[in-house]
This record gives sequence, structure tokens and C-alpha cells, in this order.
Amino acid sequence: MKGKRILLWDLPTRLFHWLLVVAVVAAVVTGQLGGNLIDWHGRIGLAIAGLLAFRIVWGMLGSTYARFPQFFPTPDKIKAYLAGRWQGEGHNPLGALSVFGLLALLIIQVATGLVGNDDIAFSGPLADLVSREISNRLTGLHHLLANVLIALVVLHVAAIAFYGHIRKQKLLKPMITGWKDDAEGESAAGGGLLALIVALLVAAAVVYGASGAWLPAPPPPPPPAATPNW
Amino acid sequence: MKSKLLLPLLALTLAGSAMAQVKPEEAIKFRQSGYGFMAWNMARIKMNVEGGNFNKEEVIKAANAIQAIANSGMGALYLPGTDKGKGWEETRAKSNIWTEQEKLGKAAMAFNKEANEMAKVAQTGDAAAVGAQLGKLGGTCKGCHDDFKAKR
Repeated sequence: MKGKRILLWDLPTRLFHWLLVVAVVAAVVTGQLGGNLIDWHGRIGLAIAGLLAFRIVWGMLGSTYARFPQFFPTPDKIKAYLAGRWQGEGHNPLGALSVFGLLALLIIQVATGLVGNDDIAFSGPLADLVSREISNRLTGLHHLLANVLIALVVLHVAAIAFYGHIRKQKLLKPMITGWKDDAEGESAAGGGLLALIVALLVAAAVVYGASGAWLPAPPPPPPPAATPNW
Repeated sequence: MKSKLLLPLLALTLAGSAMAQVKPEEAIKFRQSGYGFMAWNMARIKMNVEGGNFNKEEVIKAANAIQAIANSGMGALYLPGTDKGKGWEETRAKSNIWTEQEKLGKAAMAFNKEANEMAKVAQTGDAAAVGAQLGKLGGTCKGCHDDFKAKR
């Protein structure tokens, strides 16, 4: 049964994916190292906020296999997949679980990071919106979930290796080139220029919102001369 | 001759008993106050590095404050059993502070070293050097937080 060659992952989806890979790795590394890199950790977090916003819009307006309803893992689909009865292109139901799991986890990490603090000299750009106590609590959650995130990423990579070596399904190549050989479905359609512009605008708006640039500026520090000598 | 020896001994005894008189709740409060005050001074240095108008005197004051607290022997405030209890808020000191003394000592000494260095660098008035040293100093704060401060 020789299938045809189809476009599986559109370019924006692939760009999103690989930029997210770079950003998440950088976020984990800068978060673990700390020091002055914590400022970069904050900037990378904003970038991830933008990437996630883009992906959510693209999950509704993007091309066929990038759309969330196309691969939403219902219990029926998962059962069918585990029983070997599932057929289709794009994310399989188990992979879809991983996709939604990672997206949800990253959204929580961004949200908790934005209002968190490191108890040293760094606060998330929206930390002023919550009390210090809540900021501390959410920072604790941010730390705990970082380990869950690393575990999920390892599982994600291990699953790709498993499908490649055991199931003989090359998942990596389509995520790079966009094309899948020997496929059973149709090429991806939809997700035109207008959809792309909308997704980019939403992403830009989210980054602006997350940056806290709209918050009222803190009062200027008193001039040095006004600092008392004690 | 005898009194010359006795006086320091007496002072030591008094100091020892004075230390023992700190109640657990107070000890936790003093700890939290020390770290909170250092946090203000860390933020002050950071503001001067990032703000664009570096004020050498401000940075020196802040760095000296951190150095003073770092060298104040705060370790004495970690009374047995104070891994639980409330100071200004519930303590986040983890119980391994009392069981991994060697590791803790290393982390604390690393912090002291960088705090002393921070005070030295502040005297130079070199904004870039102060920024770099602030990063190193913050890294040693993290070194302790990662292992000995509860995440909650």
C-alpha cells in the first residue's frame, strides 16, 4: 500500500515548534543557572508567552493538521488507537495528549513565572498584580512544575525515538521539511496569510500584556541628595 | 592577671547565654528580617546597574549592608527545631539545614565570599563590574535557596 506525499506540517507550525524547542531549553538552562541569567529567563518567558498565544490561535485558524479539533484526543480515539484501530495523519491520539499536556504545562509555567520572584533580585513583570505571599506560592509551583516539564520533554523525545526505531515511523523529518512520504491522507489546507497575520497580532498583544509595559510606572526614586545620611 | 583572663571568659559566657535567650520565634523573625533587608539592598544595586544613572554612593551603602549581614553570623539563628515555626511568616527553612552541615557551610561561605567581593567592587564605582558581581552574588543566594529553602 504505497501512499502519496503530502504536506503535513505547515511552515508556521514548524517554526513555532522549533522556536519553542530553543526557547524552552534556554529557559530551563537560564532558570537553573540563575545569577544575572535570571533576567534572560524573564525575557525568554515572554517569548514563550508569545509562541503559545500564536499556537493557540493557529490551533483554530491554521492548516488542517495544526488545528486542535483535528487531533483532540477524545477517550474513544485513545481507545481506538490503543487497540490498533486508529487511522489518520498528524498527531495520533497519544501524541495529542502529549501536545496538549505540554501546552497546558507551559501556559502554567508562563503564568506563574510572570507573577513570580526569585527571592533575590528578580520579579516577574506582573508580580505587582498579586500579593507577595501569592507570588511566593506560585514561584514554588513554578519550581516544581519545571521538573514535570523536563520529564515530559524527555518522554516526548523518547516517544519519537520509539516510533522511529520500533514502529519505523519517521516523525522528525516531516517536522523539519513539512512533507510526509507514503501518507494516507490529504495535504494540509487552510491557514492562509490572513490567519497568520491574526495569529501574529494576538501573539504580539499577549507579549505586550505579559511584559507589564502597560502597568503604571513606579514612582521615580528620590534624587540622591535627598537620601538621608543614615 | 587572673582578671585579664576572666573578663573575656565572662563576656563569652554572657554572649553564649544571650544567644540562648533568643526565642525560636524571634530567631525566625531575625532570619527573615536579615534576608528581607538584603533583598532590598540587592534590588537597590540592581536598580543602579540597570537604571542608566549609576550612583556609586548608593551602591556602596547597599553592598556594605549586604556584607555586614553576610558576616554577622546569622547561622546562630538556626536554632534546633526551627525548621518549623512562624516568624513574620511561616519559615521556609528546610530540615536538611540541620543534617547537611558541611554542604550548608560551603554554600554559606560561597555567599560570604561574594558578598565581601561585592563590597570591594562597589568601591570601584564601575557599573559593569558591579553588575557582573551582582550576578555572582545572586548565584550564591540561589545556591542556598535551591537546596535549603522550601519551595512553597
